[in-house]
Amino acid sequence: MNVPLKWLNDFVDPDVSVKDLAHRLTMAGLEVEKIEEIGNDWDHVYVGKVLGVSPHPDADRLVLADVEAGKHHLTVVTGAPNIAAGQTVALALAGANLIDGHSDSGQKKVLKPTKMRGVMSEGMVCSEKELGLSDEHEGIMVLDDNAPIGLPLQEYLGDSVLEFEITPNLAHNFSMHGVAREVSALYDIPITVPTGADLATLPAGNQNLVVIENTDLCPRYAATVCEGIEVGPSPAWLARRLQNAGVRPINNVVDVTNYVMLETGQPLHAFDRDMLEGGRIVVRTARAGEMIETLDHIERKLDPDRLVIADASKPVGLAGVMGGVSSEVTDTTTEVLLEGANFNMKSVRHTSRALKLRTDASARYERGVDPNLVAEGMARAIALLLLICPNARVTAFADVYPEPLQPTTLTMRTSRFEQVLGISIPMTEIIDVLGRLGFDAETNADSSQLNVTVPTWRKDVSIPDDIVEEVARVVGYDTLPSTLPWGQTAPVKRDPVYQLRRHVRDAAAAAGGFEAVTYVTDSETDVDAFRGRERGSAGLIVDVPVERMLRIINPMQSGRNLLRVSLIPSLLEPLGANLKHTSAARLFECARLYVPNGPDELPAEVEAIGFVIAGERESLSVYGRGGELDFFDIKGMIEHVLQRAGIPDLTFEPAIDPALHPGRTASVSSGGTKLGILGELLPDVASAFGIDDVRVAVAEISLTAVLASLPSGRRDVPVQRYLPVRQDFAIIVDEATPAGDVERTLLDAGRPLASSADLFDIFRGEQIGEGKKSLAYRVTFIAPDRTLTDDDLVKFRKRIEKNLKQQVGGALRV
Amino acid sequence: MQRAEFESQLNELKDAAERSLTGVSGLEDLQSWEREYIGSKGSLTLMFRALGGLDSADRPEAGRLLNQVKQSLTATFENRETELKAGATAARLVSEAVDVTLPGRQPQTGNAHPVSLMIDELSEIFALMGFQTVFGPEVETGRYNFDLLNIPSDHPARDVWDTIIMDTLSEEIVLRTHTSPMQARVMEESKPPVRVIVPGRVYRYEAQDASHEWMFHQLEGLAVDSNIRMSDLKGVLQELARQLFGPTRRIRFRCDFFPFVEPGVDFAVDCAICNGKGCRVCKQSGWLEMGGAGMVHPRVLAGVGIDPEVYTGFAFGLGIERLLMMRYGISDIRAFAGNDLRFLSEFAALTV
Repeated sequence: MNVPLKWLNDFVDPDVSVKDLAHRLTMAGLEVEKIEEIGNDWDHVYVGKVLGVSPHPDADRLVLADVEAGKHHLTVVTGAPNIAAGQTVALALAGANLIDGHSDSGQKKVLKPTKMRGVMSEGMVCSEKELGLSDEHEGIMVLDDNAPIGLPLQEYLGDSVLEFEITPNLAHNFSMHGVAREVSALYDIPITVPTGADLATLPAGNQNLVVIENTDLCPRYAATVCEGIEVGPSPAWLARRLQNAGVRPINNVVDVTNYVMLETGQPLHAFDRDMLEGGRIVVRTARAGEMIETLDHIERKLDPDRLVIADASKPVGLAGVMGGVSSEVTDTTTEVLLEGANFNMKSVRHTSRALKLRTDASARYERGVDPNLVAEGMARAIALLLLICPNARVTAFADVYPEPLQPTTLTMRTSRFEQVLGISIPMTEIIDVLGRLGFDAETNADSSQLNVTVPTWRKDVSIPDDIVEEVARVVGYDTLPSTLPWGQTAPVKRDPVYQLRRHVRDAAAAAGGFEAVTYVTDSETDVDAFRGRERGSAGLIVDVPVERMLRIINPMQSGRNLLRVSLIPSLLEPLGANLKHTSAARLFECARLYVPNGPDELPAEVEAIGFVIAGERESLSVYGRGGELDFFDIKGMIEHVLQRAGIPDLTFEPAIDPALHPGRTASVSSGGTKLGILGELLPDVASAFGIDDVRVAVAEISLTAVLASLPSGRRDVPVQRYLPVRQDFAIIVDEATPAGDVERTLLDAGRPLASSADLFDIFRGEQIGEGKKSLAYRVTFIAPDRTLTDDDLVKFRKRIEKNLKQQVGGALRV
Repeated sequence: MQRAEFESQLNELKDAAERSLTGVSGLEDLQSWEREYIGSKGSLTLMFRALGGLDSADRPEAGRLLNQVKQSLTATFENRETELKAGATAARLVSEAVDVTLPGRQPQTGNAHPVSLMIDELSEIFALMGFQTVFGPEVETGRYNFDLLNIPSDHPARDVWDTIIMDTLSEEIVLRTHTSPMQARVMEESKPPVRVIVPGRVYRYEAQDASHEWMFHQLEGLAVDSNIRMSDLKGVLQELARQLFGPTRRIRFRCDFFPFVEPGVDFAVDCAICNGKGCRVCKQSGWLEMGGAGMVHPRVLAGVGIDPEVYTGFAFGLGIERLLMMRYGISDIRAFAGNDLRFLSEFAALTV
């Protein structure tokens, strides 16, 4: 909402700078977003009078105007069609820097005396466009007759406009009067409300002038019939104020309704009464099949529950939103019916939403307007209309208001202020502040309770803490000290998922990964690209077909309407983007997968960590061994991360997944619980995500499963005192035998003293026969109580030899 | 053999050995010398056998002499050995000199996302004040996201253009628009005293630009007890501001409206760059807005079965990305979900 300072000053004059005023209002909850200064660039522009107009000797379309502005008296050559002797105008002298009226870009130009068709033009009579007031450039701007000739225009027409953001709870501030009431309370200064007509003296009309069929949706409807109206442009002062407030002037009748709405907060509407069938108003819901063409010239079909303003036969307006074309006030209108009404906020909101039609009126009704405001608005509108149309007179007035809204009373403990705020404010100050805001407050006999009468315009105040806030925001939050909560504290537990997430995140970073944060949505195209079109599971580690994925009605990114069940597709996007400027990228993300439950239930949110890596293993260096990141790099990262998380026995087994390389994919599990999957992306899949000619290795682990697999209870950490003994074993097995099986057999046979088996060589050759491979392991044995001897190892060697033969068909190579 | 003959042989041998040792220049030559003279089959060792051929009266004196010579030669040998070893080490070190300006061997490491780091930091700061870090669902019901927070179904905040809504049969399910639903969830689970913070992702139906993201992170704070006052809220937020932006920072409250608090404020910290005097960063205002806060609305307390006459509480919410933007002078919020390694790798260093 835009509040021109001069308009506000009709009500209150705090005698402070605009900046101070804006700051004070902002701190109290009425946020001033911007202050626009009108006229501070109008140097060398004055209020002038056109003394005479004579024809240009040498041009039909130009005239010579004799203009006077105090000590300045000059001749201006102009083509303005509306210039006439006796007008009061804005006269620009040489040196004025004004907008070029002929340009579309708002470019400025310094005025110089110019010869026009042989006659010297010493200045310029300005249009609104040239002064930056509007786009109007057809003719010159004509000022009110009583404008003081010779005064700098800035002093006469300049203004500061405060632009407010009105929060939904502050509907009562949505007017000059509302803002003025705040200013009056904050600065503790009096407020003067402009006078209106005395409604009590107006002639009552026909009984049936107004009928409300639905008082739930329309608690009050007042109508004033005015004859003798002459529709025309508004006086300059009124048009000017509307423009400064951001509303375009239309004609005097419509302008009055808008002016009063801005001033009082009460929306008004004027009908051409001759166009109303029966000359009367019926407030009712729409009937099946009814239509209305609204003032924006759109033909609208009306739902049966829509509240409309109708005449004797048809809808003529959408209640609280917009009037209809059929009864629009036009140049030929002579009799108007002025509406001042109150409508149910929800009803207006629904109409406005359903028809996607927001107006200044609906914006106010939606936030809730006080029904008692109708009287103030109507009285003011009648007064202005009679002032502007001297021949007009009121012939009928009706005000249907079956259940007048009364102020409510609120009782609260006086100790509540200190209980909530933590400071003690004297009760006299509290009562004074509330009084300034329009609340009547008094304490009971023992001062334990405060009784507050809440004015009807403060629908937002309903509980004691609302009163606390009213006082606090005027007294100022600066007066609150900074204290810390005291007393008992809640027992603080650490969240195990958070601990695990931090731990694996740090491990993943230590293993070379950069943590990413990606959007949680996928498109169906992404899912198809990732999982193929067989329509199996859309997830890698959770089993959710694409049809079952959670769907967003209004996705932010077009097409991306599915809540993800794998982190990999969204990680591939930044992977590809990064590979455009770096030689390698390792990204991971800790986030949730959304596994649907029932159609109306919240999904299970599975904590997961996803990895994507691609590019060169090492950055370019003199020491580099190079090579391309592949399956074993992602496996190393996963081993590192899961071991660091504390998972004891990891098992990797070959796995099949539609997105992954059939020969380079594994599942990882511990103690029979599947934790995740890792592998190289199929080239086609990578390509579908815009990544070509590079291996992409990915992994996804369920942290929910990891957490469940962590050993609970005490973990004993031995302190080793004795030296380990290491022995090498070369084992010949069939080519198809997985190394993992060999390693497990070795370690099992070496129990309890074998602590690790490190594979250090793989050999294939004639010596060991075709279809065979020799795996060389260095096995470390360690005992907690002694240094091992060769005799100890002989025993193991025999068992290892036997088990290898039985379990993996292996033979020790001598 | 006569004693005189023995002695002269011994002297000759001693002279020869000493002469030979002066000519030794390497450790290998020294080992040959050792074998030749004082090793188990060396000539000096052989002399001990000759002792047996002397008269028994001459043996003690001859033996003494022989031992003397052996000790002397051994000592000389050891000195020489030490000398030569030191020389060899020195020579090796010289030969091993490198260009220390060559690059070091780089371990391949990454780092956590700035949002995670900020959440960890906030979690630590609040833990010191007795706040527990908890997490809640990102997909929420309308009941928790709105109803229990005193946002009735006809409230503007429920407008379809603010909220990302899930396709369901009848239940209203949304991507949470704030971390505030956890206020109700926490209070339903545990009775006062309550002190929690809730970090996490939130979602808005909002066009993206340099200062708006449709997905971002918030941190919610909640304290409920029989004696929580608004001044405590100010104190806790001031402590936060001081931990994050320096020990002299101040907090300012401005009246604002959030349906789930009453009184409601937004809070700002005085600009650390200009000390509140006004500069480009704080847009000349001297203050940087951090988030929204207030006293938990009595209807919110009552909605979860807590008596608002007895208990009071404060709640606050702040944007994690916004804090990071303030701290690091980042001008575009979209960088956080942009995941460019050139941006992500900037956050490996500690910020104190």
